[in-house]
Amino acid sequence: MKQRWVAFALIALYLGIGVAAGAATEKIFPYTYHQTVLENGLTVILIPMESPGIVAYYSVVRTGSRDEYEPGHSGFAHFFEHMMFRGTKSYPGPVYDKLMTEMGADANAFTSSDITCYHLKIATDDLEKVMELESDRFRNLSYAEDAFKTEAGAVHGEYLKSLSSPGFVLHENLLNTAFDQHTYKHTTIGFGRDVEAMPTMYEYSKSFFNRYYRPENVVLLIVGDIKPEPTLALVRKYYSDWQKGYVPPQVPKEPEQTAARRADADFQGRTLPIMAVAYKSLGFDPDNTSLAACLLLGDLAFGETSDIYKKLVIEEQRVQFLSPSFGPSRDPGLVTVYTMVKDTADVAAIEKEIYQTIEYYQANRVDEARLKDLKSNVRYGFLMGLDTPGNVAGGLTSLLAISGNMDVVDRFYATLNQVTTQDIMDAAKTFLAKEKRTVVLVKGR
Amino acid sequence: MIARLLVACACVFSWSQLSWGIGTVELPVPSDPTVSFKIWFKVGSQDDPAGKEGLAALTAAMVSDASTLQNSYDKILEKLYPMATGYGASVDKEMTVISGRVHRDHLNAYVKLLSEAILQPAFTAEDFQRHQTNVLNYLDKTLRYSNDEALGKEMLYDAIFANTPYGHPEDGLPASVRSITLDDVKSFYRTHYTAGNVVIGIGGGYDSALVGRLKSELNALPAGAPAPVAKPAPRPPEGIEAVLVDKETQSTAISIGFPISVLRGDRDFYALWIANSWLGEHRNSSSHLYNVIREVRGMNYGDYSYIEYYPNGWAHQFPPPNAPRRQQFFEIWIRPVQNDGAQFALRAAIRELQRLIDKGMSPEDFTLTRKFLKKYVRHYAPTTDLRLGYKLDDAFYGIPDHLQTAEKMFDELTLEDVNRAVRKHLQTANLTIAIVTKNAQALRQALISDAPSPMTYTMPKPPEVLEEDKTIAAYPLKVLPEKVVVVPVDSTFMR
Repeated sequence: MKQRWVAFALIALYLGIGVAAGAATEKIFPYTYHQTVLENGLTVILIPMESPGIVAYYSVVRTGSRDEYEPGHSGFAHFFEHMMFRGTKSYPGPVYDKLMTEMGADANAFTSSDITCYHLKIATDDLEKVMELESDRFRNLSYAEDAFKTEAGAVHGEYLKSLSSPGFVLHENLLNTAFDQHTYKHTTIGFGRDVEAMPTMYEYSKSFFNRYYRPENVVLLIVGDIKPEPTLALVRKYYSDWQKGYVPPQVPKEPEQTAARRADADFQGRTLPIMAVAYKSLGFDPDNTSLAACLLLGDLAFGETSDIYKKLVIEEQRVQFLSPSFGPSRDPGLVTVYTMVKDTADVAAIEKEIYQTIEYYQANRVDEARLKDLKSNVRYGFLMGLDTPGNVAGGLTSLLAISGNMDVVDRFYATLNQVTTQDIMDAAKTFLAKEKRTVVLVKGR
Repeated sequence: MIARLLVACACVFSWSQLSWGIGTVELPVPSDPTVSFKIWFKVGSQDDPAGKEGLAALTAAMVSDASTLQNSYDKILEKLYPMATGYGASVDKEMTVISGRVHRDHLNAYVKLLSEAILQPAFTAEDFQRHQTNVLNYLDKTLRYSNDEALGKEMLYDAIFANTPYGHPEDGLPASVRSITLDDVKSFYRTHYTAGNVVIGIGGGYDSALVGRLKSELNALPAGAPAPVAKPAPRPPEGIEAVLVDKETQSTAISIGFPISVLRGDRDFYALWIANSWLGEHRNSSSHLYNVIREVRGMNYGDYSYIEYYPNGWAHQFPPPNAPRRQQFFEIWIRPVQNDGAQFALRAAIRELQRLIDKGMSPEDFTLTRKFLKKYVRHYAPTTDLRLGYKLDDAFYGIPDHLQTAEKMFDELTLEDVNRAVRKHLQTANLTIAIVTKNAQALRQALISDAPSPMTYTMPKPPEVLEEDKTIAAYPLKVLPEKVVVVPVDSTFMR
């Protein structure tokens, strides 16, 4: 089946959040939420909403590939996403699977640089059983070395699958080039050599679990057909015994980048040239107007209604796509413009067009009307995305992983809403400075 | 005389469509602050003229993703931007849907844009060139070189439906897309985007006046409907028929399939649904194939099976609507395995399918799977937009609510019903197999020789697994030399 779309709510997808069109104090998040921190440090967020019989149950572990600071051990956060389905002594993997199957749960997980998230969509009737099972595996995960090695094989298969994509090759080279010290240097799946060596690291895997899978490092988010008080009582019943013990990772600080970098990579197949032009950003801060302006700048300068998009995609048709990816990250990460160029000989000229666009935004204020439209886009993109418990929970996970706190949602809205055209111009100068740049080009054979 | 009668009937039918109005599929949800639109044209890639494969998809793109007589394409993007929405087309073999969703705050402005796109596309040379080039780049580069699994699946579909109207990718073939002209698009639009060929799907927080407005506006489309395309009659595979794509790749993607005659609405469809969920529930660790190949042996990332077309499986946990078909097929998807494990994985999957046919589901598995599905099916369409999509598919198949029927059938069907349906519709003697791998000639020889393909592990395995491995490694596939072809990746779809 072939699908094509004109325009959509880009920003909401990667900010996971929107801005209010009204006063800065207006709260955009339309549901009442209840946030509690248990004595062991577990943050519990309950959001009742109209959704007859359905609940979204999200365990947000504030650990991602960012936390893999020990050399030779990249990829373990993602690997744990797999191991967590191997069960405990009370509920071994096959028993856990069978119970999940009986409940008809839509259960899965994902990992990124800042988060490992375990999510289930379940019937309200099954909430207590799910809570028992989830609290059990987070406290008592247990697996034998053979099972560990078998799962390492599946992860290696996933890595090999990724290699057939030129986009993955681009991303891997971009991170490796842009970062020297910080763990954002590797992709979520890990360096290829580390993934291959995983089967030999059984003991290390247990240490990883013991340090990071602790209540102080987890946000439990439950959305849907629930009542807050009895649900919180259940959470206390099943999670209060979970012992503290989080050991924060010693993530190295990335030295300030002082000169532009670039790297070219070959893809062992055919592809049009793909280019990433990336700049170092800041770690997330919900009150930082300058960062908020930077995140909005991406869409203003390179989104579907930007001048360069009109020129290169619609009128001159020199690129297959042009797409900004300006999202928040826990530590200073990257904001990136991606493009696929139709003619290899045109790559240098396209790169120049991107720099000229940046120079324009450094020297000129964006139209007030365009900024207003963008704020409207973010607002409606956010509101339209809140239609199911799964979508509400899914839209919040990124910010919760980065900050650990629901109140940043409204605070960040307020900050985004205050961004002015002057802030946008300042952000273009501050963030998109030449010395902070990394360019990677991937060419096919 | 008979011919005249038929012509007369056709005229009356067209007239009645106009007279009684355009068909609608409605899903009012007053509490929903958004409105979903799915404008269904009864056209798809099966309508592509020979030599112009890809025309239906290109035409849909020129309607949904291009300028109108009122607004240039970039102006449309600007107008949609503050609404944080858009509209788009999905094109499958039999169905084209122009769809979108908007917050009620922007309803009027949005409907105007959507209506103009459908009724008054500008068909500019610039938009045409943009889409044609993008499709060609996709076919030349992305489809063949960036995702081995997608390529393997497309090769499988191509082989199963060869020489039928389903027998090419919806996007077309490089040569056919190059031959399509803007005049072809205009002509295809005139004959297929007609008042007699459209159904309005609408859901969410709208009022009935909006339905009337849309009906009245779409009545401006030309009258009539195109000639129907005969239902595809794919030639069933005879024995094991394999196409091996030779490509420099670090892992091997495998897809297996054959046509089946069961459709949604048939009692046997729901019986097969239960058996298939046990055998290969999509992206679920309850899948038996997943258990055998991934969970126990760690060979790959996942292994699933299907009793109807499932588009873009890597992107969806649940089957997306609006790819309904009159002719379906059974499919096994083995996600990439290391090259030297390909033959073993293939044998393991086919053996498990045959074991299901021979032994049937056990009473315990039947009870568990039925329990699973009764709740799991409630996650299929949680939003108004998805429910509307499923309603369109129900209209296509001419059946009452498919998902509700499924819940009911899961209660009604017995283990005997399920195992009988499995024996009736599934088999392993005649299969089409598509494999993307490195050194395909060697794999071809291995398949033909049918010699054991022992599995080796870097980790210890329980004795019962090693014992079973011996049986799997020697499982006969009986592949005849003339039934296995090797195609260099550069030659795929180059007809």
